[in-house]
Amino acid sequence: MKYPLNLITLALIAASGSMMSSSALAADFSVNKANTNSVNMDKFQCKRCPDNTGYRGSVEPGAVYNDSDDIHSANAFNSEDGTHGFLNADLQYRGKTGYQAKAQVINLGLANSSAHLEAGKTGSYQAELDYRQLSQYQHDNAKSNLWYADGTLTPSSDVQTQELSLKRKQIGMELSAEHQFGEQDYQVFARYSQEEKTGYKSSSFVSPRPTNFGLPVDATTDKISSGLSIGGQQWLTSLNYQYSEYDNQIESLSLPYLSDVYAPAPDNSAYQLSFSGQYLFNRTAISAQLATGRMMQDEAVIQTSGNPIQNWDGQVDTTDGKLAITSVLDNRLRLVGSVSYSKRDNKSSTWEFAQLESDGISGAFKENVLLDTEKLNYKVNVSYRINSDYRLQAGFDREEMDRSHGAREQTDESTVWTKLDIRSIPNSKLKLKASFSQRDGSQYQASGLTSSIENPLLRKFYLADRDRTAFEAKFNHAPVDWINVSLIGRYADDDYTDTTLGLTSSEDYSYNLNADMQFDKRLSGYAFAGQQWIESTQNGSQSFSTADWSANVEDEFINLGVGMNYGGLLQDKLSIGLDYLFANSSSDKQVVYAATHPQGDYYSYSHSAELYANYRVSELLDAKLGYRYERYYDTDNAQVDVNAIDGLTTLGKLNHNYNAHQVMLSFSYQLR
Amino acid sequence: MMMRIRVSNIVYGIATLVLFSFSIQAVPWEQLPAEQLTKKLETKFSEGKYSKKGADSCLMCHKKNATVMALFDGVHGQDSPANSPMAGLQCEACHGPQGKHNKGGKEPMIAFGKESKLDAASQNSTCLGCHNDPKQMAWHSSSHNLDEVACVDCHQIHTAKDPVMDKLSVNDTCTSCHLEAKAAMNKRSSHTMQWDQMTCIDCHNPHGSMGESALNQLTINDTCYSCHAEKRGPFLWEHEPVVENCSTCHNPHGSINSTLLKSRAPLLCQQCHMDDGHASRVVPQDGQDAFGGGKSCLNCHSQIHGSNHPAGSKLQR
Repeated sequence: MKYPLNLITLALIAASGSMMSSSALAADFSVNKANTNSVNMDKFQCKRCPDNTGYRGSVEPGAVYNDSDDIHSANAFNSEDGTHGFLNADLQYRGKTGYQAKAQVINLGLANSSAHLEAGKTGSYQAELDYRQLSQYQHDNAKSNLWYADGTLTPSSDVQTQELSLKRKQIGMELSAEHQFGEQDYQVFARYSQEEKTGYKSSSFVSPRPTNFGLPVDATTDKISSGLSIGGQQWLTSLNYQYSEYDNQIESLSLPYLSDVYAPAPDNSAYQLSFSGQYLFNRTAISAQLATGRMMQDEAVIQTSGNPIQNWDGQVDTTDGKLAITSVLDNRLRLVGSVSYSKRDNKSSTWEFAQLESDGISGAFKENVLLDTEKLNYKVNVSYRINSDYRLQAGFDREEMDRSHGAREQTDESTVWTKLDIRSIPNSKLKLKASFSQRDGSQYQASGLTSSIENPLLRKFYLADRDRTAFEAKFNHAPVDWINVSLIGRYADDDYTDTTLGLTSSEDYSYNLNADMQFDKRLSGYAFAGQQWIESTQNGSQSFSTADWSANVEDEFINLGVGMNYGGLLQDKLSIGLDYLFANSSSDKQVVYAATHPQGDYYSYSHSAELYANYRVSELLDAKLGYRYERYYDTDNAQVDVNAIDGLTTLGKLNHNYNAHQVMLSFSYQLR
Repeated sequence: MMMRIRVSNIVYGIATLVLFSFSIQAVPWEQLPAEQLTKKLETKFSEGKYSKKGADSCLMCHKKNATVMALFDGVHGQDSPANSPMAGLQCEACHGPQGKHNKGGKEPMIAFGKESKLDAASQNSTCLGCHNDPKQMAWHSSSHNLDEVACVDCHQIHTAKDPVMDKLSVNDTCTSCHLEAKAAMNKRSSHTMQWDQMTCIDCHNPHGSMGESALNQLTINDTCYSCHAEKRGPFLWEHEPVVENCSTCHNPHGSINSTLLKSRAPLLCQQCHMDDGHASRVVPQDGQDAFGGGKSCLNCHSQIHGSNHPAGSKLQR
């Protein structure tokens, strides 16, 4: 009797399964929905599972030698001219009872490097330590006769060279824990990090003539963040706090003969407290978040005549919130809606400060203006699956922005869009998207508080009425197993419909083509190509009337790359590879004023090539030899010699033109 | 006894007919259309016919497959913590109950990735069953979910190290679809993404976020301030577009112009400033005077992000 009864059960289950299927919803295979009535997990075994406890990973010491006469090459080579040692490591320890530790070290010893250590018991608790260094090199040949020491920029008799580069050193530590109480999962974390940023960057002051100089950077940013989250099967809630404190060691800059010519960024701090939650019922997900924050700045204000305060009580309160609902009605229809809100409320005090220049309207005294913004976004979209090959989406987005003291205090932008996913072509995906948006708003007041002497015909581009039309096509095709091709084309047209002066139109169109190939087990390759064009026009009036000059800017970008790797040499012990990249950014600007004036060169290009060979010395030891070449050129007609323009002191021509070479040798040792 | 046999025979017959109506039983599962395959897998899932010995039942046949065995090198192959798949239903936690899969290969298992006929939502339901934590809180309304991106389009499970979880390869994963972002990294100015010194996830959460543009912070400006705290202020003298949105002037993914600017000074400035003074002045050619040479408008108005100098209303000091 048992046999037939089981069959009945089976038949009923099969029938109920059939009914369930006919509900036409996407399947839900989550493990918490599994029917485990007949499972006896005590008998589950894994005798065939390998024992992966213990240490594993690799350690890779190495060295690079660079030949370059321009420090800018250190951006690509990750190190300056000369020889540098480095260490890479990726180590893992796994204990038998869930204890684990990981260490990842990337390029330690080079300009950009990082290290990450973590240890703990999986799913219970974990401690993490981080280190990261980021470097950015602009130029090593900036020319200046001003040298910074103790808040003073001291002129020297000779112009000397100066390096413009920035270095960030970050350390961080984090503790996290997780525990299951009943059916609820509790997670908690706390993180502290500190960043030191040092170096020099290009800046300028007026004394009274403009002088470009190397602004010293020496600042520390401390961050604290923590969070608690509690989750059940259908819900999740999270409380998070983050705090950031910026401490600038560079105080007001003075010249020996003129004090306080430059006020560096003031110390500041900010915090944010957010509460978020998610609830799932059936096929509907509701997510919500509410956050409140504050940005504060009470740095001592430079004491000048006409300054009524010692310290300013700068305070901006922020409020952000979002509610999002996603509902899958059946396997054909899905509805999504969201509302988000963001407010910046400047609660600082206002004072009248003496200005060194008169603007002719407000006189020599001016009151600081407190800028508030309030933004509301709402979005709805519907997705309908026509059949297994076609899916149509359509949506409506709207953004309403209010701002205080702006030339236009309210703007709103509405966007309608549609997407069509097509999968009817074998081994292919085609996505088409079209959108149209229109920005409008309150009456434009060119003579607002912050723009008191602007030409009334001007429409600031980020406030102006604008119609935007955009199209996008994405095509992915894998005609055969060994190749995958992707092509993306985009077009966007911005028409500033009510603008006489200012940006009147902009067109941006591009394509990007990419092919990945795996010819066989040993030979792989890739190739990509892309171009982008951005064309814009704007009008100006130097007669404070209608347009009497215009400018057309044509930007063009080309990007090409190709590479391959072959691993079948010397009985598969030797693999060789090649990567090549070409990039060219150019901007052609023409100003029409009485006659057409070309602006001069503004472009950059680079050729980057890398050859490498990886030889398996033994089962545990690999040797890698690499060579990299970088050809870089950029030019900007605005860059001129230090005193080439009367009344202006520059840092010289900060262009680049170099060939750089790098040779790298490393040995990678596998621990297991 | 005779009656009992007859009843059982009738029941047996009905059951057989019901089962037979699932003609898919007789069709090799590789050839099943997606919809029928999904139905079959749902049926199997609800039946809950799990194997007797868990992973060992699977490895009896699949042990020689290196990809299968690579699971044990990664986090999903560990038998702790208690909610790990290998501590529970093991392989069948993700691939569903074995059923008769091992008997002639006629029954499909839940499969993932390029070869799977299951839609993204069905595949993702397996992952979301466990990964319901704050990092995934905004997944359901994220653009990746709405565009039917499957978890395994980005993530690999049967591996020692998921490439998308590695700082050195996460950018490759993102830019395999976001080709325009890959290209933008190589423009004249960009964040240091092309050398993987910065990563896409330094700013974005690919699982979606409650902020703008799937950013880790709630607003675009908060995202920028997380690295550029010196621009946070508040400043005594503020610049309206800076306060409102950094991306009004900058394109964080890269620009043909230096310092990620969408346009260059003086033209960028003249898209907003056209007064009765020098701001409206035409600059016929760069490098000829102080308006078009050096740092252009920023020769004088260098504190474009805000000034804390009491006499800094014109953002000059």
